[in-house]
Amino acid sequence: MSAIHLKNLTKTFGDFTALKTMDLEIADGEFMALLGPSGCGKSTTMNMIAGMEEPTSGKILFGERDMAGVPMGRRGVGFVFQNYAIFTHMTVRQNLAYGPKMRGAAKAEIDRRVGAIAEMLQLSPLLDRKANRLSVNILQRVAIGRSAIMEPAIFLLDEPLSNVDAAFRAVMRTELKQLQRQFKQTMVYVTHDQLEAMTMADRIAVMDHGVLQQVGTPLEVYNNPANVFVARFIGAPGMNLLKGRPAESDRGLVIDLGPLGVTPPLPDELASAARAVCGDVLYGFRPEQVALAERGLSMPVSFVERIGARTIVHLGEGEGAMKAVFENDVGLSVGQTVVVAPPASSVRVFDASTGLAVKAG
Amino acid sequence: MSAATATISEDKMDARTKSVAPDEGTRLGFRLTLPAQILVLFISAFPLLMQLYISVTDWSPLSGVGWWNAWEMWNSFANYTDLAADTRFWSALQRTAIVMLVCVPAEFLLGLALATLFADDFPGKRIFYSILLMPMMVVPAVAGYMFFMLFQSGGPVNDILSRIVGAPVTVAWLSDPNLALIAVMIADIWQWTPLMFLILLAGLVGVPEDQMKAATLLGANAWQRFVTIVLPKMKTIIIIALAIRVIENFKIFDTLYIMTGGGPGVATETISVYIYKVTTQDLIWGYVAAIALAILIVLSIVAVYAMKRMAKAREVQA
Repeated sequence: MSAIHLKNLTKTFGDFTALKTMDLEIADGEFMALLGPSGCGKSTTMNMIAGMEEPTSGKILFGERDMAGVPMGRRGVGFVFQNYAIFTHMTVRQNLAYGPKMRGAAKAEIDRRVGAIAEMLQLSPLLDRKANRLSVNILQRVAIGRSAIMEPAIFLLDEPLSNVDAAFRAVMRTELKQLQRQFKQTMVYVTHDQLEAMTMADRIAVMDHGVLQQVGTPLEVYNNPANVFVARFIGAPGMNLLKGRPAESDRGLVIDLGPLGVTPPLPDELASAARAVCGDVLYGFRPEQVALAERGLSMPVSFVERIGARTIVHLGEGEGAMKAVFENDVGLSVGQTVVVAPPASSVRVFDASTGLAVKAG
Repeated sequence: MSAATATISEDKMDARTKSVAPDEGTRLGFRLTLPAQILVLFISAFPLLMQLYISVTDWSPLSGVGWWNAWEMWNSFANYTDLAADTRFWSALQRTAIVMLVCVPAEFLLGLALATLFADDFPGKRIFYSILLMPMMVVPAVAGYMFFMLFQSGGPVNDILSRIVGAPVTVAWLSDPNLALIAVMIADIWQWTPLMFLILLAGLVGVPEDQMKAATLLGANAWQRFVTIVLPKMKTIIIIALAIRVIENFKIFDTLYIMTGGGPGVATETISVYIYKVTTQDLIWGYVAAIALAILIVLSIVAVYAMKRMAKAREVQA
């Protein structure tokens, strides 16, 4: 009933293409994060879902219903703006009551609904406070409540945590997730922060330059990136990608990384898929999965970042640079040469010419 | 909410309200502006005191004594008692009020309508914008001559009206006591609607766009958005615009004087015209000082009221 279907959606502003062909199915009750760097088309997509902008071509369906030409006030979507767009000249109560009042609900009905939503969001003691004197966390709850009171089937959130400081963001993430469980609505959440997307979303749609790169659960996107962009964008730091050429050896298919040496052989399934690639490949693995080993890639340490719980070790330079993340402090210093190896199961291979992942099996 | 969030929000509030050490800043500021303050005090306080002094005497430039010796002509507040009984003064005051009550609301509503129109884009907007601001740039005396000619019985206004009606129209605009006042008000509205428009447009574009979008998403139609979001957000600027025009309109003089000279008879004699006539024709300056002082008190009350309302409106908006 409140599933969202985006079909061949495109949007151009004059010469600028904000969105090239987007197809996305968002299930009823799903929490979908649109994730990507700024200018990737995620906000444009959301604005089109809300009806603030008309698609250049393509269709938006809510359930079975085509939304073309339906004005934003009639779409039944709740929208939480980046800066919350609270009516600062009104009280919290007036803000919450705004939607029902504009639609001509009876006074008693409005009072009942405002009371209920305020109770749910713990805003009851603040109802008669002026909205211009509230802290950010309360503003956010007012913004959510003001939309939620209309009981929209679809909730759109446009980077609601981007102007909040880091410590506070952690609290808000759990709070938002809890709210979604309470409301059980379809939520679309736009963000450039992968941590928000990973922690809250049921599925993530990764976007770049107006193109949908990959849709999947947070772990799918993290473990099996569909292409080089997703591999580098997801994860902090992103996936290590080393350029090389597949080569046969007596132990199986290996990747010849040139000056860095030769990788351990690929697992059989991946190897057979990689054989189909003609030309260079990118040998990828997560920095978190790198371990010190006896045999593997021998590289000099160029920099060590110690951030408490984890240590990020930068290895090599230029094209062959990579990073390794260790859980605790490791006794490594700059200039030292170490031998590292990713476990065979964590290796991913990408076609260097297309950027696409080489799928095993 | 956890303790962590509470402290963060409080810190933020503190940072916002904290200001520079008040004592030091105030003292330095006082010293730096002292010469300017003395000058301003002299410019504004001295004439006021002089006016107050002359207003309790029969002094006039023809009385043969310098104004500083006006005490010799002390008339024990006779000017003020005369003023209370001066029917010509009271009817001029009444006429001024009527002009103000017609012109300022008309200018406000027209200005607001135009500002709403110009807040959105439409073809040729820039050209219309320039044309619209032109009346404001015309020297009031020139505007006076323009309307004087427009409203002649053989002038363009009657000419256009006759074409519309299809029969010759020869309305004597400026010599009919009622029509003359209307003609004068039309001229004022023509000349000062652009100022209202300009101020209100500035206020209108300052209304946060996302709050308008939020209202739309919550189902408010254009009129509801205007009443619930736009007008409250513009409150401060509306008060400023109205205060400027009320005070300016109360002093209406140049355009009007050139169009009608306050006539026919005293039909368009506003308070400024009356003061001008008493000053230049009757030359009883002590009396003029008394009238002017009375007007100043009335206008000051308007100004103080407007400023109080504005402070309140700003506190609400913040």
